[in-house]
Amino acid sequence: MTVDLSVLDVRPSPGRPRPYHFPHFERRTLANGAQLVTADLPGRPLVAVRLILEGGATYEPPDRGGVSILAAHALTEGTERYTAIELVEAAERLGAELSAEAGWDSFSLALTVPAHRLEPAMALFVEVLSRPTFPAREVDRLRDERLADLLQARADPRRLAELSFGAAVFEPGSPFARPAGGLEETVRRLDRAAVEERYVDVHDPRLATVIVAGQLEGIDLAALLERLFADWHPAAGEAPVVRWPTVADPIERTFVRIVDRPGSVQSEVRIGHVGVPRRIADFYATIVMSAALGGLFRSRLQLKLREEKGYTYGASASFDFRRSPGPFSARSAVRTDATAPAVADAMAELRRIREEPVRPEELDAARDYLVGVFPLRFETPAAIASALAGLVVQRLPDDELERYRPSVAAVTADEVLAAAEAHIHPDRAAILVVGDAARVEADLRAAGLGEVEVVREAAPAA
Amino acid sequence: MSDPSAPLDATAPAAAGAVTWAGVPTVPYSDERLPNGLRLVLSEDHLAPVVAVNVWYAVGSKHEQRGKTGFAHLFEHIMFQGSRHVAKTEHQGLVQGAGGTNNGTTWLDRTNYFETLPSHQLELALWLEADRMATLLDALSQENLDLQREVVKNERRLRYDNQPYGLAWEKLQAAVFPEGHGYHHSPIGSMADLDAASLEDVRGFFRTYYAPNNAVLSIVGDFEPNEARAWAARYFGPIPPNPSIPPLGDMSLPPILGTEYREVVPDDVPLPRMHLGLRAPVWGDPAFDALEVAAQILAGGKASRLYHRLVREERIAQDVSASAIPLVSGASLFALVATASPGTDIEQVEAACWQEMERIAYEPVTADELARAQALLETAELAALQHVEERADRLGMYATLFDDPGRINEQLARYLAVDAVAVQAACAASLLPDNRAFVIYVPKS
Repeated sequence: MTVDLSVLDVRPSPGRPRPYHFPHFERRTLANGAQLVTADLPGRPLVAVRLILEGGATYEPPDRGGVSILAAHALTEGTERYTAIELVEAAERLGAELSAEAGWDSFSLALTVPAHRLEPAMALFVEVLSRPTFPAREVDRLRDERLADLLQARADPRRLAELSFGAAVFEPGSPFARPAGGLEETVRRLDRAAVEERYVDVHDPRLATVIVAGQLEGIDLAALLERLFADWHPAAGEAPVVRWPTVADPIERTFVRIVDRPGSVQSEVRIGHVGVPRRIADFYATIVMSAALGGLFRSRLQLKLREEKGYTYGASASFDFRRSPGPFSARSAVRTDATAPAVADAMAELRRIREEPVRPEELDAARDYLVGVFPLRFETPAAIASALAGLVVQRLPDDELERYRPSVAAVTADEVLAAAEAHIHPDRAAILVVGDAARVEADLRAAGLGEVEVVREAAPAA
Repeated sequence: MSDPSAPLDATAPAAAGAVTWAGVPTVPYSDERLPNGLRLVLSEDHLAPVVAVNVWYAVGSKHEQRGKTGFAHLFEHIMFQGSRHVAKTEHQGLVQGAGGTNNGTTWLDRTNYFETLPSHQLELALWLEADRMATLLDALSQENLDLQREVVKNERRLRYDNQPYGLAWEKLQAAVFPEGHGYHHSPIGSMADLDAASLEDVRGFFRTYYAPNNAVLSIVGDFEPNEARAWAARYFGPIPPNPSIPPLGDMSLPPILGTEYREVVPDDVPLPRMHLGLRAPVWGDPAFDALEVAAQILAGGKASRLYHRLVREERIAQDVSASAIPLVSGASLFALVATASPGTDIEQVEAACWQEMERIAYEPVTADELARAQALLETAELAALQHVEERADRLGMYATLFDDPGRINEQLARYLAVDAVAVQAACAASLLPDNRAFVIYVPKS
């Protein structure tokens, strides 16, 4: 039997794109000063709510590292009227998920619930927001769980690399030198009083924004929130002004830090330095550059380390965009005997992105991916609410998401090169390697990457 | 703290048992076959200008022979190394360049490949999937095989060998399913078997299993059905079927292990962790649905029995989770994992877990527990079905494993049909002392 597969000889061309716009949303100010942002999304019955407060880990006192996240986790542990279990059970009966979290930049509450149960779920949400009791017994438990989690993290090479990376890149004393959840020396001292004090600081309606996305037809959210927020008033005096700290770049010369993990069959590698804040003039050129370097499947790092050399399952690079400059990092887990050559290859790519303009096909791949994937990222109310939260937290203009695609599409190869020259510093980078020092140290020294230091931490006892 | 017996006022709505179901929207679909046997499942949704394509092949790690473990998954990697009209890594390049995402996954029962793209790029995705189904072997080379073998070995190191507790699931699978059974080994396979894989093995595997009559193509999202049908027929239509796909051997198993299995693994871990696996009915059996509800009641949230007792009250565990892992051949796996708190003996955790598992088998769960578990399962269904990618995946899954894509609209009803009697009966049949396999990690020192 002959098989004629000639129809496959011609690769199809794309059809006509259907227009896409980021969903329309509306803003208003409630009586207590809180902002309300709503996006009505017909056909999306699972509603997502985010309440954004000031109070990220960046702004907590250095001797209380981890208190913002602990306060967020303790927020759902009971209110003046209900125990934690009563709250959870009430939420579950609504099929609702209610949680609180803190990141570097903000403190937030999140709710997901089917639209027809939004109103009772919002009542629970506001109960948690307004009347938390932070029971000492639960705060202590959550603190102890964080301490035990740190123990676990130190045994996991990937998490150990994440825990160690901030201190390798940022100045001692900078909030970003530690993980947002804090380390043992500060977490150990946290208690109910510290948590409550932190929450009092962040709990100001004038600095709050409620975001609601989903099928909202027939729901008067403003009226509902005015009623639920009736007892939530701002404190006396002016609204506090939150200052975004500057971040120093302490690295003068590239160095290698090996965190010894005897017996490792892979090395977790992080190469990086202080990056840039979210609000920079060349943001779009920077994300296109970062995609070409380490954000696509066919990025320079992935093609070199995975597809050409077979050193790894994957390699990537990205900026962590925060209000203040977060880290830039290139990341991979490579087999132990390939550690030094893999680091050398990654460093060569960090130099090359500054020296060689991206080829037209690399530029197209990065731009077309970021432009095309944009609608795919916003299929659900939760994703749309999170994007709106990003606007609020970073204080970006309302049309930023609508401008995203044309701005990416307009980036040129020269702008990519300029962004790489400005924001990638292979000569002033930390090279962090979590792996078996006995098997990688000599090679890393011989590679001439910079001064090499070895950290040998006795694993803390359980 | 308030009195838990006090009735909740209007702030805490929906008192026990007063759940009203939201109802998950019905997923419309059509189900047909091309003359070469390829099953085509289409589901339109024009809410967003996106489309998802998913190809399910009815071949997984359970089809692998002794000495060839890891083969189905290694093969999945080869599927991204090019075909007659697509160069090495060009598949991802074209999809990402079209503004799409893509991947492939291998599991015990099956392998699948998928793309999600802006809707005007649908034809590209169909062409890419057809080109590799038709002409993969044109691009196969020793070099590609060797390189992907290294990538897969690195995946194994990353996910298993270099991870604390990394081998626990592999050990659990090996204990719950006997030597020679298709579920005895993990999809990632062994380093030795990966090393032994030859070009001839790859060719044979492709010719045997990667045929249109062994696949389901699902398309979900913003497309015109007749256009999609025409493209599917154009690109997949000429691919010849394999009339002699070997049937899967008999995978039936006794419903329980028969004797307890216990393995203690001293390792570089800071806290002891218990992995408990039990043989369970196959997915599709209503008893399996009941075990999913039981897993939710045991450890599905902060108010669940085990989380409440072990983590919140007694504080002997750092975390606890329970899951019914759906498998279709012979038996499934019910698993419970708990990590001891610092200073706690794992024996104490084990005893408390087992007490709760006995209790759920001997006394009925309350109406409120059942209603809460079902409400959460309903929200989870609603959340999952929001994504065109997930809908395409599930249509392919139900068509492949149950010969019925329409089950996508029945899953919620199956959960809601579970009552307290069913939970108790399913637990009583599976949560038995001589059905237990323990893999317990303890710190080396």
